[in-house]
Amino acid sequence: MNVRDRADAIGTFRFIEVHLMETIARWTPITPQMELKVMFGRHIYDHAQHADWLGKRTFELRQPEHYTRQATPDYLQLLDRMRVSPDVAERLTLLYDVVIPGLMARYERYLAETDRLLDAPSVLVIERILPELKRQVADSLALRDELQIGASDATAMRAREMGIHSVVSA
Amino acid sequence: MEIGYIELEGIRLRDDPARDDCFLVVRRDTEMHEYDRDSEAGARETVHRHMSNEITSLDIAAQMLVEFPETPWELRMELARQAWDEARHVAVLHRRLVEMGGYKGEFPIATLEWSITCSLDTIAARLATQNRTFEAGAMDVVKSLARGFSGIGDEETSAVLDGILADEIQHVRFANRWIKRLAEQDRRVLMKVAMAVRFIAEVNSRFAAQDGEVNAVGRTLQDHTKTIPAVNIEDRKLAGFSDEEVEEILRQAGFRSLVPDEPQTGVAP
Repeated sequence: MNVRDRADAIGTFRFIEVHLMETIARWTPITPQMELKVMFGRHIYDHAQHADWLGKRTFELRQPEHYTRQATPDYLQLLDRMRVSPDVAERLTLLYDVVIPGLMARYERYLAETDRLLDAPSVLVIERILPELKRQVADSLALRDELQIGASDATAMRAREMGIHSVVSA
Repeated sequence: MEIGYIELEGIRLRDDPARDDCFLVVRRDTEMHEYDRDSEAGARETVHRHMSNEITSLDIAAQMLVEFPETPWELRMELARQAWDEARHVAVLHRRLVEMGGYKGEFPIATLEWSITCSLDTIAARLATQNRTFEAGAMDVVKSLARGFSGIGDEETSAVLDGILADEIQHVRFANRWIKRLAEQDRRVLMKVAMAVRFIAEVNSRFAAQDGEVNAVGRTLQDHTKTIPAVNIEDRKLAGFSDEEVEEILRQAGFRSLVPDEPQTGVAP
């Protein structure tokens, strides 16, 4: 990866983090369960912080601060489909069982592909993000167990997510 | 799924946000269960009411992130942080409510602040309504309540409320800063803010208690204009209100103010 490739990848991750922040914010007033709203409040700020860290990094890669690059159309369709999920169980399943684990895998792939010394500031940001995403998945599992919210069938969406090789537009 | 609009008492308002089935959502002060605060039920109802208000504040901050995506990033970060703060406030008040022997849904709740704020169509108007008016007003109320709980020996509830108050100062402060900044860029923002303030007064006049009305638990209520809380001057100044603005708020409150915690304690006449 050259500098431009790294900027484009980081700018795309920023786009995804902002999209997730907005999606969870959209769900907050329409979700009845108080405990889920509380969890969403924390996760809204998590994604805002991730977007902020990533946006500051793009400035160090010859792009404007908060350079943001729309993800590939197929990935954007997946995110948009999740955003309009009709019920709470499906929303939680798609976000915390499909999209966030998939995003963690994409961050891990970036770490595997970049020069960890030359691109150490990006590595630092991503290594701060990953444990937070892992915590979100754990938060969600614990709360769904407590509130007895079952998982929806996400087989098709999971296959769709895994079938998208890159989220970075050409 | 979007939350639409409703017409109530001749005013177009945002429909209610979603709430757990255990909550009874009401619209008027008279339907709330406001007791004398020195009773156990009154103390629990106060904590329950603030917990509910914090849920509403969380919903409002989240909705601003959704409906105003072109807002400067720095302001969106403030709103995202506010969402987390309000979420923590809900959790800590719920914890305290349970410690006091209460439970979620024990008393009726209202979400009128959401219905008012989210019916406004600019970010400046919403900040002026939710942060600069409702949350700033809450700073006055919460300071008095924290002292009241301390006065009856409930230091734990008092400490919870004081911790929440510290966070609210920042929510009011960033709103004051951003309203000024947005108004410098576009003078029409001031018109929107003024219209929002008039709108709040109009809605309050329709839904707030009138003199002599009796609420759902038999308590006789006063007109809302006679129950304006003493002004928390110290925190309002920290939140960016100018001396002139504090003077005007004091005038509306009949010049009743709360003196700082240190070195004095107690409520000023």
